[in-house]
Amino acid sequence: MKVLVTVKEVAEVGDDFAIEGTGIAESDLEYDLNEWDDYAVEAGVQLAEADVADEVVAVTIGPERSEETIRMALAKGADRAVRVWDDALTEEFLDVAGKVSLLEAVVAEEEPDLVLSGVQAADDSFGATGVALADRIGFEHAAVVNDLEVAADAGVANVHRELEGGVEELTEVDLPAVLTVQTGLNEPRYASLRGIRQAQRKEIAAKELSDLGLSAEEVASALTLTEMYEPESESDAEMIEGDAGEAAGRLAEVLREKGVGA
Amino acid sequence: MDFDLPAEHRMIRDTVREFCEEEIAPIAQEVEDEHRFPAEVFDELAALDMMGVPVSEEYGGLGGDQLMYALVTEELGRVSGGIGLSYAAHVSLGSKPIELFGTDEQKEEWLRPLATGEGMGAWALTEPGSGSDASDMDTTAEYDADAGEYVLNGTKQFITNATVANSVLVKAVTEPDAGYDGISTFIVDPENDDGFEVTTVWDKMGLNCSPTCEIQLDDVRIPEDRLLGEEGEGWTQTMKTLDGGRISIAALSTGLAQGAYEAAKEYAGEREQFGQPISKFDAIRDKIVDMHRKTERSRLLTHKAAVKYDEGNRVTEESALAKLDASESAREVAEDAVQVLGGYGYTEDFSPQRFYRGAKLMEIGEGTSEIQHVVLGRQLGL
Ligand SMILES: Cc1cc2nc3c(=O)[nH]c(=O)nc-3n(C[C@H](O)[C@H](O)[C@H](O)COP(=O)(O)OP(=O)(O)OC[C@H]3O[C@@H](n4cnc5c(N)ncnc54)[C@H](O)[C@@H]3O)c2cc1C
Repeated sequence: MKVLVTVKEVAEVGDDFAIEGTGIAESDLEYDLNEWDDYAVEAGVQLAEADVADEVVAVTIGPERSEETIRMALAKGADRAVRVWDDALTEEFLDVAGKVSLLEAVVAEEEPDLVLSGVQAADDSFGATGVALADRIGFEHAAVVNDLEVAADAGVANVHRELEGGVEELTEVDLPAVLTVQTGLNEPRYASLRGIRQAQRKEIAAKELSDLGLSAEEVASALTLTEMYEPESESDAEMIEGDAGEAAGRLAEVLREKGVGA
Repeated sequence: MDFDLPAEHRMIRDTVREFCEEEIAPIAQEVEDEHRFPAEVFDELAALDMMGVPVSEEYGGLGGDQLMYALVTEELGRVSGGIGLSYAAHVSLGSKPIELFGTDEQKEEWLRPLATGEGMGAWALTEPGSGSDASDMDTTAEYDADAGEYVLNGTKQFITNATVANSVLVKAVTEPDAGYDGISTFIVDPENDDGFEVTTVWDKMGLNCSPTCEIQLDDVRIPEDRLLGEEGEGWTQTMKTLDGGRISIAALSTGLAQGAYEAAKEYAGEREQFGQPISKFDAIRDKIVDMHRKTERSRLLTHKAAVKYDEGNRVTEESALAKLDASESAREVAEDAVQVLGGYGYTEDFSPQRFYRGAKLMEIGEGTSEIQHVVLGRQLGL
């Protein structure tokens, strides 16, 4: 069985940052592997360790810089990686449909039995790529998976899905499938130092649009980023102090002022 | 000249940093308070292949270079000087000499368990009567030709890891009156060699999770194949060992300074007095800038020594310079960190005091600062 794990390098900002146009100043950004993709990588590697998966391939959409982050997936045990990027992609915002077109082409080439994807990306948080990909390629899918067992022979994945209000759903998903992975699925490992050293020699195949038989128009975004701003945040928290009697008195006063019990 | 770390080194540093922050920082003060060697942490370091970073893969090591090892050691120092010290003693003093001077059989039997992290290494040079003047030792090893064994007698002082060690490399006199040429190195097995006893585990000003021990050797009989290298090579081995060891102490010092600097910088940005963050006062800002300056200087000297070492040079001067400067800087930076935190800096709830206590040792172990001056003076032809 072949597992394809989608991974993304996400940008993180500190407390202080400057907005430049529709983005955040490059110097204020730090890049890291998307947290949820880390669970997906771990799940893939565990399947390989349990001899359920024969090969774990990581795929990412990102510029050359992202190789360092993607290499972390290789250090943790993925066998090889595919990195898709093209100069045409640097100009415009890449929306979910665009990403799905790119991943669809990679899926066509790799023919995986299982695609694991983080439930969302920490930076743009569409939370859509995995399920949209499943829809496009005609795979079964399950979203927000926090427990996974794969019976490769039977061709099914038994998954738990986390629903609202603490409800858990148990589902049997036929393979091939796309699963989007939620926190709690596993405890991602630290890459071992030997893993990191070996990862330097593992393949990261770079692909451009033409390699995937795609044109710039086919991945052009229907969305345009028009503005980026920091919303005014208002807070008027009052810390109520004093002993229980005083505090209760003040609390009652505030509630009355706000119209409670009026 | 390239000041950027190679990608592989950067990735290793970042991973080790993450591990240290998540797994070691939360218990760093606790293991100090308890004076407890955290075996479980070293098991985790072993699982991540950290215990044999600069040891060849052939014997279970990672096959990395001295620069990589320095980066890992710095990260440990940034959270726990004690764990860093036991780690550096294990690698530089307990393991590397076996790799550099041992036979294939010795490497298989004694280096492999250290490089894979199954056991800890230790190195015993210092004695109650000989510290800085280390070659003036009293421990003897007499050869018993009939039995094909050496018989060791003496006392060793301040030996890191002796209580938890799989092997201890013991320096002893095999030829009295031959001075430097009369010293040899032996691989002693604390668990199975009769007559080996740890008589004291010292309570110290800091670094108390790293055991510092006095050892008694009482007619310890060991087979002749435990001689490391040839008879009489013990002192030249010591000099080469310390060239590498001092780089690791410099790296550890850089880590202590970095940890103290970060703690002070963060605190100064948050603590307000007279209506503003204390970092806005010139006196505090200047202190923090100087802490950064000294830390960066230590790191540059350390990396330079490590890179020269990796190029195959003798680095007596570079390693002494790095060790001297980084240890002094670490103590100064940590002291300033205590000052920046004011009364809180003096409490054990905050890390600067721990860095301060730990940094002081770096000016003493593997040759005091005074001895580094002697070494450097000689290098300068003075
Ligand atoms: C926590 C800890 C861990 C240690 N780990 C190990 C270990 O694993 N293995 C090991 O073998 N040893 C170890 N040591 C021993 C350490 O290397 C020695 O303590 C150190 O070399 C100094 O020796 P000493 O304590 O006998 O001091 P001394 O040599 O007595 O020095 C006392 C003072 O005199 C100064 N002095 C001495 N000679 C001169 C000179 N020629 N010129 C100017 N000043 C001089 C010194 O600089 C120092 O200030 C450890 C020590 C400690 C505290």
